[in-house]
Amino acid sequence: MLIKSIYALLATLGFGIYFNIKGRNLIFASVGGAITWFIYLLSLSINDSVMISLFLASLTAGIYSEIQARYLKAPVTIFSICAVIPLVPGGGMYYTMLASVQGDINKFLTTGLNTLASAGAIAVGILVASTITKLLLVIQNARLGAHTK
Amino acid sequence: MDINRVIHLSAEAGKIILQNGGETYRVEETINRICTAYGLKDADSYVTPTGIMISATDTAGVTTSLVKRIKNRTVNLEKIALVNDISRRIEPEKLKVDYVFNELEKISEKKRYGVTTTLFFSAVTTSFFTLLFGGNFYDFLVSFFIGMILETFIILLSKVSINDFIINVIGGAVAALFALLSTKIGLATNVDKIIIGSIMLLVPGLTITNAIRDTIAGDFVSGVSRGTDALLIAVAIAVGSGTVLKLWFSYLGGF
Repeated sequence: MLIKSIYALLATLGFGIYFNIKGRNLIFASVGGAITWFIYLLSLSINDSVMISLFLASLTAGIYSEIQARYLKAPVTIFSICAVIPLVPGGGMYYTMLASVQGDINKFLTTGLNTLASAGAIAVGILVASTITKLLLVIQNARLGAHTK
Repeated sequence: MDINRVIHLSAEAGKIILQNGGETYRVEETINRICTAYGLKDADSYVTPTGIMISATDTAGVTTSLVKRIKNRTVNLEKIALVNDISRRIEPEKLKVDYVFNELEKISEKKRYGVTTTLFFSAVTTSFFTLLFGGNFYDFLVSFFIGMILETFIILLSKVSINDFIINVIGGAVAALFALLSTKIGLATNVDKIIIGSIMLLVPGLTITNAIRDTIAGDFVSGVSRGTDALLIAVAIAVGSGTVLKLWFSYLGGF
């Protein structure tokens, strides 16, 4: 599991350079990819559901990138894109395409729907993470406002 | 304060962010932040992935507006970070308009990583994704070279400004072709792992993430158009690799 996370770290490091991220942002962005993959594998070893694992992993990715963006004062995109990239269902896309090439309509539909659902699970994860951050910011601002009054 | 200059300045900043893969709401925020920092009231902007519209009113009540069309887009996250940073510094540090113009020009002319670095790290990306998805050592080596070849193709095709759809079709085809060839001559074992790892370079991760973030922020037009863009890229990759696989199966049979 740890070795796989290191693979994820190096893969996202390459991606960060491909997207032209520089300096310390690059290091933190690739660590995000490793953490996301670690959570994904951890969750897969506890329960069998790929969907729940994807959701938890992308939730972690979202929260990690929001924290790093505040901490390093850089746009969230830099971290969230690198953290999410290992989860993107490239495999699902490939097997869907393979089934359609082989003329297996049943397999094409099941893997296709599965791929769409995976993308949905990742989207919901990011959505929940950024909603939580917005909520926390609103609460913090309300508290600050109450203090100054 | 010259309203004209300020609006041109904010449009330039917004253009750099939008062209380099920033979210729509970030562009609008940046434009409004710059306009308010220079004392324009009622500064409003409407941004979609393909264009920027700004309109602002100065203290005398004169309204000025500007439209900027965005034609080509790449991904360069460093520029987004730099523009974001300078737009936040204007108000507290009272930066002059000319100074910010100069800085923006410097930012937009910043060089990317060199070709060799990009090639090497694309290869690192594809090869480690192959390992991550369950490939063995031989698959790792093969997809390292496929990553390099693929990135060379992408760079060359972007130079002659072919549209993204065709680039992704060719990219998918190249990945599939080299994966099949390498297994045929016995260099590697898992065709599927190599292809999946290699197409990760083309997969629309950034577009999907931005589509979601734009939709949450309430920019539905941008959200839907980026979503369509992502779907189109995915279809293009599938068309490219699918064509090669189909031809291979028909004429040479099996893996």
